[in-house]
Amino acid sequence: MSCTEREKLFGYAQRLLEPREEHEVRAHLESCPTCRAAAEEYRKVDTLLEEWTPLEPSPSFDARVREAVEPSGASRSLLGLFGFPGLRWMAPALVTVLVVVAFVAVLHVRHGRRAAHAPAQASSMPAAPDAPSAPPTETMGGEEEVKLYQNLFMLEDYDLLAEFDLLSELPKGETKVDN
Amino acid sequence: MDQDLDLMLRVRAGDSASFEELLRRYRVPLVSYFRRMLRDPALAEDLAQEAFLRVYKARARYRPDARFTTWLYRIATNLALNAIRDRKEISPAGGNESSDGEAELLPVVDSKPTVEQLLIESHRVWLIRDAIQALPENQRIAVILHKYQELDYGQIAKILGVSVSAVKSLFFRAYESLRVRLEPLLKGGLI
Repeated sequence: MSCTEREKLFGYAQRLLEPREEHEVRAHLESCPTCRAAAEEYRKVDTLLEEWTPLEPSPSFDARVREAVEPSGASRSLLGLFGFPGLRWMAPALVTVLVVVAFVAVLHVRHGRRAAHAPAQASSMPAAPDAPSAPPTETMGGEEEVKLYQNLFMLEDYDLLAEFDLLSELPKGETKVDN
Repeated sequence: MDQDLDLMLRVRAGDSASFEELLRRYRVPLVSYFRRMLRDPALAEDLAQEAFLRVYKARARYRPDARFTTWLYRIATNLALNAIRDRKEISPAGGNESSDGEAELLPVVDSKPTVEQLLIESHRVWLIRDAIQALPENQRIAVILHKYQELDYGQIAKILGVSVSAVKSLFFRAYESLRVRLEPLLKGGLI
């Protein structure tokens, strides 16, 4: 049997033939046991291949895919919002909120630290018999407070902050506070 | 509309739950595809992971001009072929294909199964796997995509960049080789 005929036989076994061709091959098979056996063999190969069933991934597979996908989307932009178009407008607002929160947090920490220092200083000094000790915040003059703001490390490291992914849209080095 | 395509459009619009659904639907088919294309199960999983990552990264550029599975398996096939070619560059002696991508009917590696392999799969399955993996690249892709991943000839033609009649011809030649290689099973010796 020629190769072309075998290909037709294969097409018949795989049900790939046009109805007219299929009819012709079927008629031929009725009188040709060799071709019948060949067509049957193609079908057997097909059935045999089905024994190689789908293969389950390892238990950690899904978690690994999620880990691989996250940095490029959901978690890279912190809130998972900016990986998708249409929500990018929120970035500047979030940056502003973060800067304000950071500023307030630093003020709070500084204030708390000074409050803790003041009683210690007061106890090491001889107490004036008739002057009651004032709360530490009230002891600070206006000039001293301005110096404190100027020395806030967060603002000094503005460039460092600007390197953060979310703050990268801010202009670099333009609002640095000089001492 | 094709349900997968709809899911992919949702992923493009930012719906991460739809990506989870695609992962759930295609985790087994993709891992199976790579494990059928390659002999190394660990590499197969790495490539399946990479395929999902590429789908996710390309979501913004996704255009629904073909079926989702055509797009997915085109990505997967490129990854598999690159991995196969990289391995050949590392160990040229292991390769047995000529420059036009046609292979001789020789196993890619030592064809004796290890005890470990036999514990995982039966000897019969091992013979089937060996016969398929010994096929030339394009024949192997055609058989695996059609027989196991259930893609039609038109989809396979698009993935391989050939005509539908060329795919049919690849498929026929692959079955001719498989018929010879699997003769012991077909004749009933090991069935």
